[in-house]
Amino acid sequence: MNAIYDVVIIGGGMSGMMAAITLAEKGKKVAVISKGDPVCCFSTGCIDVLADGDDPLEGIGSLPDNHPYHLVGENAIAHSLELFKNIMFEGGMPYVGDAHINRKVLTSLGRCKITCLVPETMEFSDCDPDEYIHVISFYKMKDFYPQYITSRYPNAGYSVFDPGVITTPGIAEKFENKTFLEEFISWLGGLDIPEGKIALPAVLGRSLAGKVYHEISAGCGRKVFEIPTLPPSMPGLRLFGGLKKALLRRGVNLYWGRGIYSVEKLGNRIEAVTLDSAGRTTRVEGKAFILATGSFISGGLYASMDTVNETVFDLPAFLPGARETWFNDDFFASGHEIEKAGIRVDPSFRSVDAEIENLYVCGSILAFSEVMKYRCGHGMAIATGVAAANACGGLV
Amino acid sequence: MAFDFQHCIRCTVCVANCPVFKVNPVFPGPKQSGPDAERFRSNDEASIDRWVRLCSQCKRCDVACPYGVNPAEIILKEQARYGEGHFKPLAYRLFANNYWLGALGSIIAPVVNLLTPRTFVKRVLNIFGISTAIPFPQYRFHSMNRSWRWKGRRKSRKKVVFFYGCFINYNRPDIGRGVRDLLASLGVRVVIPRQVCCGLPALGNGDMKTARKFARKNGRILAGYIDKGYDVIYTCTSCGLSLTQDYPGILKVPDGKKISENTYNLHEYILKLMEEEYIKPAFEPLHRKVAYHIPCHLRALGIGYPAARLFEKIPGLEVHILEDNCCGLAGSYGFKRKNEETSARLGADAARAIKATNPDILVSDCGACKMQLGHFSGIPALDPSEILRESLKKGPKDSRSQGVE
Repeated sequence: MNAIYDVVIIGGGMSGMMAAITLAEKGKKVAVISKGDPVCCFSTGCIDVLADGDDPLEGIGSLPDNHPYHLVGENAIAHSLELFKNIMFEGGMPYVGDAHINRKVLTSLGRCKITCLVPETMEFSDCDPDEYIHVISFYKMKDFYPQYITSRYPNAGYSVFDPGVITTPGIAEKFENKTFLEEFISWLGGLDIPEGKIALPAVLGRSLAGKVYHEISAGCGRKVFEIPTLPPSMPGLRLFGGLKKALLRRGVNLYWGRGIYSVEKLGNRIEAVTLDSAGRTTRVEGKAFILATGSFISGGLYASMDTVNETVFDLPAFLPGARETWFNDDFFASGHEIEKAGIRVDPSFRSVDAEIENLYVCGSILAFSEVMKYRCGHGMAIATGVAAANACGGLV
Repeated sequence: MAFDFQHCIRCTVCVANCPVFKVNPVFPGPKQSGPDAERFRSNDEASIDRWVRLCSQCKRCDVACPYGVNPAEIILKEQARYGEGHFKPLAYRLFANNYWLGALGSIIAPVVNLLTPRTFVKRVLNIFGISTAIPFPQYRFHSMNRSWRWKGRRKSRKKVVFFYGCFINYNRPDIGRGVRDLLASLGVRVVIPRQVCCGLPALGNGDMKTARKFARKNGRILAGYIDKGYDVIYTCTSCGLSLTQDYPGILKVPDGKKISENTYNLHEYILKLMEEEYIKPAFEPLHRKVAYHIPCHLRALGIGYPAARLFEKIPGLEVHILEDNCCGLAGSYGFKRKNEETSARLGADAARAIKATNPDILVSDCGACKMQLGHFSGIPALDPSEILRESLKKGPKDSRSQGVE
């Protein structure tokens, strides 16, 4: 089956979805192809822009010259983050925060993570060590132990509620049920807790999280916040769900769950890609293509023993050196050289090593992004996604 | 293929996408019943994973998995293995042979339709493990296999075989006849040969032998037509998935690959005709607000949402695409008593999402989705082809096509 689109985006993660929304808002006919659900589903749902310093945007100035953030520019980054906030607000899952201010989010290990934009359910997550935090845990819930938090916050306490199920998706589903929610709120009201905030693992529903959160806050009359958990991470799934809904509302066509089978090239243009559908292949034709397949974990890049390949178009990928130099001896040290691997692009987000005029690249597949080192994953995905969409939108 | 489960990195995206896991704490989820347990399974040992039967085979995990593990495939295989070695309750045996039930129901349609809503009949069905929580579909005597078997010019360049599936055949033949007429009006020669159940209900109820028997029979018929230059068209997305994925795959139909390569979703086929400029349909405006519930098996086909792309071409039609919920009925799954609660909770969730868009009608390709969601939302449920026919001024004249209620 042929399909003619203005822009075909390969990769349904943060970057690809933001690019799709940007283009659809310009009235372009857009398709998004994704092999499966993206890595942002496992994330905390928080948008890290740059974890260094108090002002992430200011910190961008001190990044190495070849970092992809420099291709976007400070103003455009701030604009794309604003666009992201508007989209999530429209989807009923508002984000709070300012692109110029880094904030802290309490994690389930009792440490703080530095981030920039957070879902409204984590608005009050920045905790003073002197403040009293009361953690609500769930009976036998997997991978959430309030003792981690109380051991680091001597001023914190906890209570345990039995929801009848032990998994994150199971508890989240229960919270969307009105009777359960009322029962929980009345249990919470019956507790004798000192003055302070109430913290819960992030299980307050899936699509209705905002409503559940406000009802609990109003019910107990205190500041409440969610603590991100290990996957399945509800805030990550809500983030993905919110963006996907925004795509559908804007008439973007989705091709989900199948990888790219082959690519049709004519001269220095990509004409079409073919999907590996059930039984037969499905051909998707576009005037321009955006590659947003992510880095190693998402399968956009593949490392063999001595080289790194780009998996869809076989674009030449930048390699930081011979394999011996890829890794630091200390596994947990920040900044392994291999993180620099990826596709090098020019200011219009086209590969500098391959002459393809209608292929744009964005997200963590970009060379020198070093997402783990700078802790800029979602922020970089949003900023480069919007920027690549703007670069290609003018031409189709 | 056999070692795909080793690619699982335990990211739990499948678990987060599993509708059954969300509402039934007894089901350990696709990760544990699929790739995790697969490590301990051996063909030399009997299957002991009783809970694989709780999987509804919606395939949402297959679609979500970014590493190509396909947990539902692994579970399906184990369901068949478990079915071979264990006693199958009556409900499983009956639903595996859904085709024969339908045939009987159709012959004595007035009697069946009169009996199924009765309390005492419901009690008897309940004793046999069959749920009566949602009304049984009405059976029609004038089924597809008793309808006119061809339409359209014999010399058309485009020739198709219509694979209608059991639900359209016995319960909603009006949709099937509509599809036949729609295709003929677009200059396509339609032939409707004798055919049996696609085999999916048997497969889903752990009866591999019956599934293969059905599939081989269809395989012979369809391959014969394909050799004569026909394409195969389906509207039921579950039949479609079975024809394209299971025939060459788990069911090992001799001509499976050929069938799979020449089988099209109705809307995909109409788009293909439009792109080849074989037809230039003039869509009339329709001023309606539609909630389009995407069936899980349409997602699993990996062809995008072709009916939604056709809806875009209808002026005035406001479409909300809903693809995050499984209706929970999953063919015969929700008609089993032990799955009744799971099915009802999922149905209520999906209906809530539909009602939130405040639609005039709801549309879905899948017969089970239409039945379940029509019941839980109280909104008339239509087939996408009915919307197309309306816009192309080709019906629906049949009064029965106003929802399933």
